[in-house]
Amino acid sequence: MTAIGKLSKDQIQKVLLSAIGFVFLLYVYFTFFLGPLSRSRATMEKTMVDLQNKLGSSKTEMRRTASLEREAGTATARYAALQALTPDGAPIAWFPPRIKTFFANEGIDKAAAQLGNSDNPKEPELSGWSKYTWLISLPDADYAALGKAVADLENSEPLLAIDRLTIRTQPEQPQFQQVEMAAINTIQKR
Amino acid sequence: MPLQLNLLHEEFTEERQRKRDPLKLGMMALGAVGALMLVFYGFRAYQTLAIKNRLGAIEEEWAKVEPKVTAAQKRAAELNDIINTTKVLDSMIESRFFWAPLLQKLSGCVAPNTQLTNFDGTINVNKTVTLTIEGKATGAEPRAAAEEFRQLLSEELGKKYRNVRAEFKILEDLDTAVDVGGTSLPVARYIITVGLAPQPDSETNNSTRSDQALAKK
Repeated sequence: MTAIGKLSKDQIQKVLLSAIGFVFLLYVYFTFFLGPLSRSRATMEKTMVDLQNKLGSSKTEMRRTASLEREAGTATARYAALQALTPDGAPIAWFPPRIKTFFANEGIDKAAAQLGNSDNPKEPELSGWSKYTWLISLPDADYAALGKAVADLENSEPLLAIDRLTIRTQPEQPQFQQVEMAAINTIQKR
Repeated sequence: MPLQLNLLHEEFTEERQRKRDPLKLGMMALGAVGALMLVFYGFRAYQTLAIKNRLGAIEEEWAKVEPKVTAAQKRAAELNDIINTTKVLDSMIESRFFWAPLLQKLSGCVAPNTQLTNFDGTINVNKTVTLTIEGKATGAEPRAAAEEFRQLLSEELGKKYRNVRAEFKILEDLDTAVDVGGTSLPVARYIITVGLAPQPDSETNNSTRSDQALAKK
């Protein structure tokens, strides 16, 4: 006869009661004590690993930025110089007078600039810049003075590119030429 | 062997049964397991508390570092933007076509027996340049003078530019004549079209001058 067979009905009930109590204890322990504690611990460990990774990468990031800052010194200075070519205000307000003064300084008194059109550059890097097409006309220009003026203009205005150049002699005054230029100027949006 | 009589047999049995009471044993086992669990819970709670403390320290450190990192990331993005924009602007500056050297070459090709009346230069979409040059030539052989100008122009431009093609579009004798030194000479009118492509590094000198101008500003 087995051991259980020797137990009385009262004893079997007590064994079952103890077993139920044991299961209940395990349930309460894992559900209300150890489970939440383990979950909380796992969450904290995950947060800690994330933060440690962020801290590690942040140090690398800061070192990289410092190195980039050193490397970008030339580019930053050049960018600032290019930015300085664009005065404040609408380009239509400052560009024609600037051109008139420029050619006057070159010995060409009559000069006029008209805005042809303006457009956004195709390059995504130039999202903060616009392209303005200007029609510059010089009704009385001497060829030699014109050549020098064009050279100086091209050298002093790096963001200006002459797209079309037309020179016509004047029948009455062959020593003077009538000049028209289409120039594209890249200007920072202000 | 002496005979022993157990007169308390029933009491002993009850005592044994009381000691072997399953409920009592179960409760004892439950208590023991519960105590073990409690100890383990305490151990785990202690470990968790230590992790929490470490996490607190790391969070504090991160709170100090985070604004610097955010600022560094922002600055890095800004610098990358500046570098990329400057690169694009530089490539635009370097790929410009400079007209002044062309005008200089052109003026060097015009002989006293030729005259230019119209000049039209355009930069095409593929960065090549098309010129239309209109003028008059005179002399005993005005057509030969015009041809000489075309050849000289082609040769001189070929020294500085690539794929130079200079062709007559029109070359015709005019009815009018010009008086040069008391001699009446015939006149020919011509239109020459020139196609050329800038040399990749032909404008270095001008680019350098642009850089210098920029540096001055």
